[in-house]
Amino acid sequence: MRYRSGEGFLRLCSLNKKLGNFELRNISLNLERAEYFVVLGPSGAGKTLLLEIIAGLQRVDSGETWLGENNITLWPPEKRLFGFMYQDCALFPHLNVKDNITFSLKVRRTHPRIIKKELDEVVDLLGISHLLERYPATLSGGEKQRVALARALVMKPQVLLLDEPLSALDVPAREALRKELKHLHKLTGMLMIHVTHDFTEAMSLADRVAVIVDGALVQVGYPDEIFNRPQSRAVADFVGAQNIFQSKVIIRNGKKFVLFRGSQLAVETDLEGTVNFSFRPEDVVLSSSRQPVNCLQGVVDSVARHGLFTRVVVEVEGTEIVALFALNGGSEYPFCPGKPIFCVIPPKVINVFPCETDCSEHSSAYHL
Amino acid sequence: MGGKITKIFNILITGALMCLIMVSVGTVLVRGLPLVVAQMREPELIFSLKLSLFTSLVSTAMCLLVAVPVAYTLSRYRLPGQGIIASIIRIPLTMPPIVSGVCLLLFFGTTVFGEALSRIGMNFIFTVPGIIIAQFFVNVPSLITVLKAAMENIDVRLEYVARTLGCNSLEAFLRVDLPLMRKNIVAGLILTWGKAIGEFGAVLMVAGATRFRTEILPTSIYLNMATGDMNAVMASTSILIMIGIISLVAFELLAGENWERTRAL
Repeated sequence: MRYRSGEGFLRLCSLNKKLGNFELRNISLNLERAEYFVVLGPSGAGKTLLLEIIAGLQRVDSGETWLGENNITLWPPEKRLFGFMYQDCALFPHLNVKDNITFSLKVRRTHPRIIKKELDEVVDLLGISHLLERYPATLSGGEKQRVALARALVMKPQVLLLDEPLSALDVPAREALRKELKHLHKLTGMLMIHVTHDFTEAMSLADRVAVIVDGALVQVGYPDEIFNRPQSRAVADFVGAQNIFQSKVIIRNGKKFVLFRGSQLAVETDLEGTVNFSFRPEDVVLSSSRQPVNCLQGVVDSVARHGLFTRVVVEVEGTEIVALFALNGGSEYPFCPGKPIFCVIPPKVINVFPCETDCSEHSSAYHL
Repeated sequence: MGGKITKIFNILITGALMCLIMVSVGTVLVRGLPLVVAQMREPELIFSLKLSLFTSLVSTAMCLLVAVPVAYTLSRYRLPGQGIIASIIRIPLTMPPIVSGVCLLLFFGTTVFGEALSRIGMNFIFTVPGIIIAQFFVNVPSLITVLKAAMENIDVRLEYVARTLGCNSLEAFLRVDLPLMRKNIVAGLILTWGKAIGEFGAVLMVAGATRFRTEILPTSIYLNMATGDMNAVMASTSILIMIGIISLVAFELLAGENWERTRAL
């Protein structure tokens, strides 16, 4: 696991929390003041629990949370005042939009003139001035999200916690809110921590990403690193690498190779011994003629539409390689099942990462 | 055809039950209501009515004060043996009120704790406070059940959000939970009060049946029936029936409002 050096604005130090049969283990993070940080993980990985711990809604069993110079581990949520937005918004059903948004200001007994000013500012920012008298039950999903955002933003929190804010929305509303979140982040410069299970959402929004699996952080890094250089099989699998194998690194003429069945693939890595390696299906180049470097001969096994992409599965010496192509104006691809084809995997797209489990001493590669 | 016969049978049974209730209750009301005005000049009826109103209102308020934190505990906290705690609290619901009364009588009358309370002036046996305690003991489990169900229907994350918006836990409860369960509370209180004002078995055991001392409306019916004063019996009975009907109508109105709101969502 890699961290940015230096002291972060919000620091989670070895947090542990057991809740029933689930356990959040040894969570450590350094978060900068104005970053958009995404916690990425599958359902049940502990993302929401982690957010609730950061908000002070759940007490940790051990570990510390620091905000700047303050140890806030024992601070209750009302003292931390971190904005929190749940997936389904959790708007107060008995209050109209206006009262939902001004809730925190009224709790703090803010002067009515200031309440009005703050309300006007935030509803203008989010374009929801026409909704003020409506009740949550009458709002659409996108409108609810905006109201929940306004409710959190009106108290000008130092940290905004977003629990899968886009998951419940249809595609256009999701796109619109994604842009809005990015815009708000630039505008306010606050630390935003966004949890999601959608890696494309993470890639498009995050300054940095942490991947959480089964209650433990397995990788923290920049989106490109997570996407292209996963450091564990779980992360590679989760971000859709699809082609994940294991091999021994061999060195020949000063160059490093991994073995894929009977073929050798040149790689750029510092690792030695038995390793895992992965490459993304988008990075596989299919060719009808043999190429000089990292070229594997195989047979097309299947071709299928995959949303806006075409997914081609090539069988190479009994092992499947998945390639993905963007559809191009309905043009015909020369990939039909049973046809011989060459898969080219450029050395720079092959991600070599350590083997977490006891790896076989055998040098032959095999599909995980 | 079989379905049609079943339907007719079900409707007939329902109609017959409704007739039985209407005729029996109506018989009392038809005879009793004209007597209420005349009997209202009788000091005994006035005393028992006032005492009934006083004790039932006080015991209902006590039920509310106790039921809210207990219901919150049972619905929001994870305590060891939570199921057993909930079951123990429901025991009075399963007992005949007169048995509850015997339990209270023995507790306050024969235990060291009861005697200690008596020595410091808190005497519950054959006293007005005894009426209140009996009504409270019999009714508080049902109010707890109603409020617990209402609290369990409120998403705990609403409280969480309120906490992140600056409320402490009490403020979050008062500003979010309480307004959301307001109708349930009012409906629960109406039911509790309606049951308290008609409570007899437990009250008889704990407070006895002494004229102009521990004489509430049900006790008055019992005493006057024993002495054959049917006019007083009919008047007291009619008053209790009217209170019951008004409580039921108020409860149904509130329950109806809740349903409408749920449907609109």
